[in-house]
Amino acid sequence: MILDLHNHSVRSDDGKARVENYCQWIRRRGLAVDGFVLSEHRQFDAESDYRPLEDEFGLLILKASEVETDYGHVLVFGVNEDLQAALDFARVDLPLADVLRESERCGALAVPCHPGRPNVGLFAHYAARGPVPGVRLVETLNGGSRSGENELAGREAERYGYAGIGGSDAHIVSHIGRCATRFEETIRSAEGLVAALRAGRYEAIACPSTSPS
Amino acid sequence: MPVDVAELKQSWTGFEFDRVEFPVTAEELAEFARAVGESAPWFVDPAHPDFRAVPNFATKYHGRRMWPPDFPRLSKRSVGFDGGKRVEVHAPIRPGDVLTARSQIHDIYGKTGRSGMMVFIIHRMEFSNQRGELAALVDWRFLQQPDPD
Repeated sequence: MILDLHNHSVRSDDGKARVENYCQWIRRRGLAVDGFVLSEHRQFDAESDYRPLEDEFGLLILKASEVETDYGHVLVFGVNEDLQAALDFARVDLPLADVLRESERCGALAVPCHPGRPNVGLFAHYAARGPVPGVRLVETLNGGSRSGENELAGREAERYGYAGIGGSDAHIVSHIGRCATRFEETIRSAEGLVAALRAGRYEAIACPSTSPS
Repeated sequence: MPVDVAELKQSWTGFEFDRVEFPVTAEELAEFARAVGESAPWFVDPAHPDFRAVPNFATKYHGRRMWPPDFPRLSKRSVGFDGGKRVEVHAPIRPGDVLTARSQIHDIYGKTGRSGMMVFIIHRMEFSNQRGELAALVDWRFLQQPDPD
């Protein structure tokens, strides 16, 4: 099963794509993804119900969040009410250690994204402040990366022994499906996604027909 | 010293700091429509029975001030830049309308990116017509990059 684990809809302040349009694009282009995750910036979208779109397009649509920490941006999968109560998602300076700890405590999973990016990538901060205990996986393939950023992410992930996931970081319709994660098992829910990521049976992939520039 | 975005938001959002009236003429409606590439007769022909403003027309109007008096400048290096506009249309704007625009800071939020910390300031202009009906909301999104610590 292939899931694109990092995308933004119009619910994010800089997102230009409606979720329905992502679905249409995937089907019209015949993209090789079985679903995608919406990780809106600095918030968790608890309101939107995408089940009708899942049924119409035969895609899995899951919700996550992209929060901002003192070590860069972090995807949080499996967000629930406990985690929402524990963290102020709107802050731009959340301590990464807190995000990792509270995610674990609440049954979620925190994954630093675009870690090879200046300022908002994990490894830029590692260079100055050293590694953070508790990081287990990072987004090694990000569809919005500039030249060299994914390469740096891959090298450093290997150095620190982190597993890697892939996501497009799409903000416009045509960017979905650039990068994704291939799982050995079938995933049906956000909880299932967290379990699969913890189990480690997956690989980050750059989709050949829509690979990032 | 780092910018406290939550404090900024609490101090500066939610009060009116400017109010201006704009009488609307047929000529400016048609001229604006043509300037943005419209050709539909109900936007460019004042003789059309449903002649009205294009949806983004209210962005033509500016208030007397961009910020409330004494609003802090977050950077010594630059005054910031335009981060785009968002328009909500609520009622048709037609010739002869007199629009009253009320300005307030609607929201302030921070985000981080490749270039560092950014603070977004949303200046909202609320346009109502002479009948008191809400005609449009225009959010001017302005971006400032605070000076590094």
